[in-house]
Amino acid sequence: MMNWSLAVPELVLACCGMAILLFGALMKRRETFHLASMLTIGAFLITAMLVIAGPHGLAYHGQFVADSFSGFVKLLVLAGSAFAVVASLDYNEHENLRRFEFPVLILFATVGMMLMASAVNLMTLYVGLELQSLSIYVLAAFARDQLRSSEAGLKYFVLGALASGLLLYGISLIYGFTGSMQFDQLARVLADPARVSPGLIVGIVFLVAGLAFKVSAVPFHMWTPDVYEGAPTPVTLLMGTSPKVAAMALLVRAMATPFGHLLGQWQQLIVLVSIASMLLGALAAIGQRNIKRLMAYSSIGHMGYVLIGLAAGTPAGIRGVLLYLVTYVFMSAGTFACILAMRRRGVMLEQIADLGGLGRRDPVLAMWLTVFMFSMAGIPPFSGFWAKYFIFTAAVQSGLWALAVIGVLTSVIGAYYYIRIIKVMYFDEPQEAFDPRPPSLSLLAAGSGLFTTLFFVFPAPFVGAAETAAKVLFG
Amino acid sequence: MLYAVAVFAPLLGSAIAGLFGRAIGDRAAQAVTILCMVLASICGVTAFVQLVYLGAPSGMVVLGDWVQAGSFHVSWALHYDTLSAVMVAMVTCVATLIHIYSVGYMSHDHSIARFFSYLSLFSFAMLMLVSADNLLQLFFGWEGVGLASYLLIGFWYDRPSACAAAMKAFIVNRVGDLGFAVGIALVFTLFGSIEFGSIFANVPAHMDATYHLLGHDWRAYEVVGILLFIGAMGKSAQIGLHVWLPDAMEGPTPVSALIHAATMVTAGVFLMARFSPVLDYAPGAMAFVTFIGATTALFAATVGCVQNDIKRVIAYSTCSQLGYMFVAAGVGAYQASIFHLLTHAFFKALLFLTAGSVIHAMSDEQDMRRMGGIWRLIPFTYAMMWIGNLALGGVFPFAGYFSKDAIVEAAWAAHTGIGQYGFWCTLIAAFLTAFYSWRLLIMTFHGTPRADHHVMQHVHESPPVMLVPLALLGVGAVVAGFVFRDQLIGADWQAFWGSSIQIAPGNHVLRDMEDLPAWVTLSPSVLGLLGIATAYLFYMIRPEIPPRLAAAFPAGYRFLLNKWYFDELYGVVLVAPFRALARLLWQVGDVTLIDGVPNGLAALTAGGSARVVRLQTGSIAVYAFSMLIGLVVLVSVFLLFLR
Amino acid sequence: MLPVALSHYLVVAALLLVLGVFGIFLNRKNVIIMLMSVELILLAANLNLVAFSAVLQDLVGQVFVMFTLTVAAAEAAIGLAIVVIYFRNRGSIQVEDVNLMKG
Repeated sequence: MMNWSLAVPELVLACCGMAILLFGALMKRRETFHLASMLTIGAFLITAMLVIAGPHGLAYHGQFVADSFSGFVKLLVLAGSAFAVVASLDYNEHENLRRFEFPVLILFATVGMMLMASAVNLMTLYVGLELQSLSIYVLAAFARDQLRSSEAGLKYFVLGALASGLLLYGISLIYGFTGSMQFDQLARVLADPARVSPGLIVGIVFLVAGLAFKVSAVPFHMWTPDVYEGAPTPVTLLMGTSPKVAAMALLVRAMATPFGHLLGQWQQLIVLVSIASMLLGALAAIGQRNIKRLMAYSSIGHMGYVLIGLAAGTPAGIRGVLLYLVTYVFMSAGTFACILAMRRRGVMLEQIADLGGLGRRDPVLAMWLTVFMFSMAGIPPFSGFWAKYFIFTAAVQSGLWALAVIGVLTSVIGAYYYIRIIKVMYFDEPQEAFDPRPPSLSLLAAGSGLFTTLFFVFPAPFVGAAETAAKVLFG
Repeated sequence: MLYAVAVFAPLLGSAIAGLFGRAIGDRAAQAVTILCMVLASICGVTAFVQLVYLGAPSGMVVLGDWVQAGSFHVSWALHYDTLSAVMVAMVTCVATLIHIYSVGYMSHDHSIARFFSYLSLFSFAMLMLVSADNLLQLFFGWEGVGLASYLLIGFWYDRPSACAAAMKAFIVNRVGDLGFAVGIALVFTLFGSIEFGSIFANVPAHMDATYHLLGHDWRAYEVVGILLFIGAMGKSAQIGLHVWLPDAMEGPTPVSALIHAATMVTAGVFLMARFSPVLDYAPGAMAFVTFIGATTALFAATVGCVQNDIKRVIAYSTCSQLGYMFVAAGVGAYQASIFHLLTHAFFKALLFLTAGSVIHAMSDEQDMRRMGGIWRLIPFTYAMMWIGNLALGGVFPFAGYFSKDAIVEAAWAAHTGIGQYGFWCTLIAAFLTAFYSWRLLIMTFHGTPRADHHVMQHVHESPPVMLVPLALLGVGAVVAGFVFRDQLIGADWQAFWGSSIQIAPGNHVLRDMEDLPAWVTLSPSVLGLLGIATAYLFYMIRPEIPPRLAAAFPAGYRFLLNKWYFDELYGVVLVAPFRALARLLWQVGDVTLIDGVPNGLAALTAGGSARVVRLQTGSIAVYAFSMLIGLVVLVSVFLLFLR
Repeated sequence: MLPVALSHYLVVAALLLVLGVFGIFLNRKNVIIMLMSVELILLAANLNLVAFSAVLQDLVGQVFVMFTLTVAAAEAAIGLAIVVIYFRNRGSIQVEDVNLMKG
């Protein structure tokens, strides 16, 4: 049963990627970056439509699945990647990174992420993950004449390789102790508690560790701040959005489907990781002066909240996870769009203090950033509040009171540093104005800002889609 | 419908001026609020005329549900009966004139739109209060009036004295409001409803209900009456809770006029009249009302005689006149109290606005000792002040004559001990009223000019936009008395008031007023004229007498000048202990505990942050190591939970 | 002759893994050694997969190894490329020098 038609979106996207690569290589002119970016966005759009229109089912002998969960995740991944490409347009122009490989790498990373979303086999999982990782290693070091960027690339690469090595080792153990790589077969085998052996447990933990590295959950988060800071900002935007979504989706599917019967055991694991992530995300961000670093810690904290939904282990929890990811992608992309607008006399700025007096210099930008910060802090009526609301109610329904309480407490701490940024913008000494914003960034900030602000007006389609997607995992 | 428009048009004006004042500019804000007020007064007067003279049915205008909780139902509804209609008509008319006057008076201010927005809000709150169909809505208006008065008294928020006065007004009113709120709660427990219709319909059913309080059974109506009156004391500045009213002078003069004439202070009197069906069965509470009212009337009049600030004199006069109204209410002559409220609204607004005109002319001078000799320069204002004074002093045929005499007579006609007390107090106060009124008039307009040269050169008549309202109010102050007397307190008062004022079968005050000894009827007028003569003697013919009197009775003079030492007494008895308590709560409770705990937690958090970040050394080896440690921990945890 | 059982393979693989992991965080010298350690870890996993595949009589494990080898090759290429540009910027590939960003 090849049934390759189910994988048409991935196939089309991959072919587009290669075509753009070919086109870029063959073009004699230097200025292929812009065109390649536009083509990439076009490819994303086509792929998104194919995802929406595509049929559901299993393909490639049960290695690949297209269902509402994967569809939901893929659309989100495509959106995040598209945001990254849009954000890179102006940045790469100014930072002398005008190379057509940039959007192509994002595109291939996206193919990998889509594969991850559809993986129902440990092999697909690994290949998708590696495709994504390898592309992003390169992207992190893309500013090849900047020390910080190359250091970020190096760190990400070494630690990422370690993580995927651990993941691979975990896969080998799981395979060895169950005799299968298929998620559904694994689930069948593990329905019998006698088949659960310590070797398998070690394998699962290694697998979780590998995926936790990708979602930068504590204690596998150490790379995040350094790499976020060093990588070119559009790449940071990318790292902050789609790969997180894809890896989280993968983690959710892996935990819910093949290891669903072991919920009682791995739940504690996820709870532990979640608490540690929330605490670290809240605490470590307080002292930060670099806004990209702050966003790194913030993303660690957010992943902690998302993991609460996974720990709940119910359809409601998974629905919370998906909704949180949706709002997170938009908040994150919007915030990075604002960060990308922080340029003065052609020099990119990253210090929080540089935002001083932005409320007077550029009220529109300050307004959007305020919206994102409020939303990240979880203040109603912005989308971030509703995301936390769905997650916490799911946790409470599953009896995870402590987790919900810690979540609320850490969001209070988190609110401190988010609101500090707002304070800097509106109450600190005005700095010199930023350079004029390019329309691409204004568009990105406004679009994400509108979504974040108006989410509460039309949550129904998202909640409905997340609900359907979450139900798929529970048969 | 007209009636609803009359109530809500000011709110519309206020909202437009308040929210868009900056966008549409001061001119437009003024125009909008005044247009809304004019509309409101046309509708208000029409509604009044329709009800009283054209025989429109009374009833209520339901606007929607408000609170539905168990057996507690409250809706937004406007009560449409004579009492409310009279008040709505009066409030809208006077407020409109004050709005127009303010255009001239506030022309040099910086935040005109804000002023007009507050002014309209004030009017709306008062209209809400008088047109309320239930106690909760009345309370809403009551508090709205309190809020608006706070905003307006503190309108010049850059003056510390204005801020202090605004706070004082607000806080003193809270004391009264507490009584009122408890009273509302008691009414609800007693009647199971707070809608006027069902309360008044069930008055006979609860005649003998009691509350057990402090080891003694009290009749429920007495308790309710006293509590409601405590609320009224706060709003209407009766002795004990009067301290805010003189300080409220800190607001711009049109605000004073609005507070003293049409809105706010009359709320208490209105409440008494509105609750006449209940109060008439609470003789104890009524005696208390009479006592407080009479005492206030006398007290405020004595203080008014020695004050030097022109607005302060008028303020104490208001206090005193409110005392009159409560005397009338206390002896069961609610009609007379509302009648005086009505006439008072006209002549007091007139007096304040003339005072404003004087202050305007004197370059914002308010001290009468630095005025004098300006009557030729501002003849129109002078004439208006005469009319106002004649009305206030109770000289025939001005408005005050009818209403004030009616109250004095009613006090006598009550034929009770407390009624006698009220009679004598109001009689003496009538003399004092005339005295301080002409003292004010003479000190302000006559004698040698005591202002400096500069000021005198600038003395000028106010612009027409201020004089026209004065003239209209002047007309009111002249005619309101004899036009309304027979309808409001005449023999067939029932035809006018309908069911809006209900009295007990044994209440014959109004009838007995027709049949009094001649000296009782004449004495207020005689004493009034005597007061005028005394003032003329003291300040016109022999100006050396007052200082000599003050020197002869220094203690008495200081006692009066310091307003019976009420502020000082409160300062020692209430403010100082509370301040000490507040300081304790602030330094121990707030700074140490409430601030200390979160600050400590915050410091802990910041410390935790530093510690967490220290792990982030930037070294790949450390990062890898932490991943490994994490892995080991997770494996052990997982294996542990497998057991 | 000592028969080589599954457990032997597993032990060797585990040793390789431990060597690789330790090579990453105990190594204070050269970034290249880290790349080699990563290869060791992948090797450990591959050994596991092949051994299990043989024991389970299931080809999937061996197929997976093919994938892994390909990925490892790509990874090595990318890793070396990153090390090269890092050296170009920093003039050194000493591990202790890689700490520009921290906190």
